[in-house]
Amino acid sequence: MRMEPINKISEKGLRVWRIYGIFQTFIALLVGIGISTVNFFTGEYLWIYIVVGGIVLLIAYLLIYLFPKVRWMRWRYEVREQEIELQHGLFVVKRTLVPMVRVQHVDTEQGPILRKYDLASITISTAATNHTIPALITAEADELRGRISVLARVAEDDV
Amino acid sequence: MSKEKYKLHPISAVINFVKVLKDMIIPFVVVIAVNGFGGSKDSGDWSSYIMYGIYGIILIFLLVSGIIKWKRFRYWFEEEELRIEYGLFVKKKRYIPFERIQSLNYTEGILHRPFGLVKVKVETAGGGATKEADAELTAITKAQADQIKREMLQAKNKLPIELDDSDEPVVVQQPVKEEKRAVFKMSRKDLFVLASTSGGVGVFFSGVAVFASQFSNVIPYEAIYDEIVVFIRFGALIVALAIFVVLLIAWIVSVVLTFINYYEFTITVEDEEIIITRGLLEKKKITIPLSRIQGIRVVENPLRQVMGYATVIVDSAGGSLAEKDEKIRLLPLIKKAKITPILQEIFPDLSFNPVLTKIPRKSRKFFYRLDYVWMIPVSAAVSYFFYPFGLFSLLLFPLSYVLGVWQQKTAGYFLNERQLVIQYRLFSKVMVWMEKRRIQSMTERTTLFQKRANVSSIITTIKSGVTGDSTTIPHIEKSDAEMLLNWYEPHRRVSIEKEQPLD
Repeated sequence: MRMEPINKISEKGLRVWRIYGIFQTFIALLVGIGISTVNFFTGEYLWIYIVVGGIVLLIAYLLIYLFPKVRWMRWRYEVREQEIELQHGLFVVKRTLVPMVRVQHVDTEQGPILRKYDLASITISTAATNHTIPALITAEADELRGRISVLARVAEDDV
Repeated sequence: MSKEKYKLHPISAVINFVKVLKDMIIPFVVVIAVNGFGGSKDSGDWSSYIMYGIYGIILIFLLVSGIIKWKRFRYWFEEEELRIEYGLFVKKKRYIPFERIQSLNYTEGILHRPFGLVKVKVETAGGGATKEADAELTAITKAQADQIKREMLQAKNKLPIELDDSDEPVVVQQPVKEEKRAVFKMSRKDLFVLASTSGGVGVFFSGVAVFASQFSNVIPYEAIYDEIVVFIRFGALIVALAIFVVLLIAWIVSVVLTFINYYEFTITVEDEEIIITRGLLEKKKITIPLSRIQGIRVVENPLRQVMGYATVIVDSAGGSLAEKDEKIRLLPLIKKAKITPILQEIFPDLSFNPVLTKIPRKSRKFFYRLDYVWMIPVSAAVSYFFYPFGLFSLLLFPLSYVLGVWQQKTAGYFLNERQLVIQYRLFSKVMVWMEKRRIQSMTERTTLFQKRANVSSIITTIKSGVTGDSTTIPHIEKSDAEMLLNWYEPHRRVSIEKEQPLD
C-alpha cells in the first residue's frame, strides 16, 4: 500500500470553501425565489413551494456542509525532492504524481476571499498539464513556490 | 555580409493572390451561378453587372495586395536570429532566434516546381495558440532554403561562421549524408487501399453540408425545391440511382484526392530527424526532430483490422507541425506485420515486442455498466413512445455488453525500465508507446465503485502539440496501479538519479 501524501491543506481553506458554498446556495436561493414568485402569481401550487424549498435546503447541505468537508478530508499533498504528489477528489479520488524535472513553472494566485483569510492557491504547470493546490497559507504557498522552482530548475531540453 | 536582406521570389505575389482566391472561389462561383440561373429575369441585369463590377474590383485589389505583400517582405539573418519584415499596411517585424526553431518544413506547390522553388514554414516550440506557422516564406530558391538551414545549424551548434568558408563543413556534412536512409516507402497497392478505405467520403459530404449551411441565404431553395418535386416524379428508381452516382463520384473524388496527397509517401531518417515527403502535385516535406516525439500510437479500426492493416501516428511536441493537429500520420496505412521492423529502425531504443498484462476479469463490469445509466432511461422512453418498434432499443444492452467485453479483452499494458505501452479500445484498437521520461504526469483514479472492487485506473499524460494527451489504463488491480506509480516515481530509480545533475 502506498502511503498517502502527508500534508493537508489549511483548515482555513475549509472555511473558504464553505463561503463559496454559501455563495452558490445564495444563487440557488434566488432561482428558487424566482420560481416561487412565478408560482405565486400563476398557479400557487403548494407542492412547488415544497419541492423548491427542499432542493434549496439540499443544495445548502451539500455545498456548505458535506462537499467541503469531504474534499478537505481527502485533499493531501506532498512536495518531495524529486516529485510532487497530490491527492484529491469528492467521489472520484485522484492521486497524481508530477516529477520535478517535468515542472515548467509555478504560479500562486489569490482572490479576494482567499486574501482575507491569508490564503493562496498554487498552480504547478508541466508542458502538458496543470495541477492546483488550493488554499494554502500565503507564507507557506510562497515558500513552496520557491522550493518547487529551485527543485525544478534541472535542465532538460526536450520537453 | 550576413545582414544582407533577402526578398522572396516574385512568383510569391502570384501565390499570395492564388491563395486568397482559392478561399474565395466557392462563394464566387455560387454567386455567379445564382445570378446566371435565377435572379436575372425581372430584377434587371444592372444589379448583376454591379455584382460583377464589385468582384472585379475585389480581384484587382487582391492581386495588388499580393504584389505589395511580396514587395514588402524581407528576411535576413542577424545575431543568430531569423528576422523577417512584412505587412500590407502595417509594417511588422518578427525576430525568431535560431535556437528556438524546431523545424523547417518545405512544400513545393505546382507554381513552385517550374522555378525550383520551395515554400518554407518555420516552426518554433512557442506554445502560442496561433494556428499558423511562426513564419512562412512563400517562395524561395532551394539554395536559399539550404542557407537558412545552414545558418540555423550554425547557430545551434555555436559554430563560428568562418568555418563555413573553409573546407571544414565538408567534414561536417559527410556523416549527415551517410545517415540518410529511406525507411519506408508506401506501395501503390497500399496507397490504393488507403484511398479506398479512408473516411474521405464522409469528409466530402460534411464539406458539402458546411458549404450549404454557409451560403444558405445565397442559394434559392424554393427554386431548387420545385426542381426536386419535378425530379421526384421521375420515380424513386432514378432518385436512388442519382444518389448512388453521387456517392460513387464522391468516393472516386476522395480516392483521387488521397492518391494525390499521399503519392510517393516516403519516410527518411536523417540526422536525428524524420522526414516525410508526399504528394503528387504539391510535394510536401515535413520534418520531425526525433527528440520532439513524445509518443507513438498504432491505431487499427475494426474494418482495417480485419484486413490486417493499421495506421501509425506520432505525437510531437510543439507548434503547428502538421497544419491541422499535432498527431502526425507516420505510416498512414501499413500491413500490421511490417510495423515492428520499421518502428524499430526509427526508434532503436524502444522495445516493440510488448507482452501485455491484461485487465482482470473482475473489472469487466466497469466497461459497460456506466453506459446503462443513460441507456435505461433512453431505452425506456423510446420503447414507450414508439411502442412496438421502440423495443428494438433494448438491443443496445447486449451490444454495449459485447463492446465492453471486447474493450476489456483488448486492454492491457506493458512496462519495462524506460517505457510504458498501453493498449486500449474505444472502437478502434490503439496501442501507445511512451517513454518514461516523456510522461508529464501520472494519476491514479479511483471511484467509489472501483474502491469496493479494489481496482483503479491509471491516467498518463504526454505532451502533444501545445497541450497534452491523456491515455488511460482502465480498471487494473489497485496493487498494480500503485506499482505503476512507484515505477514512475523518480527517486526510486537510481539510474535516473544519476542522469540528473541536481547539484
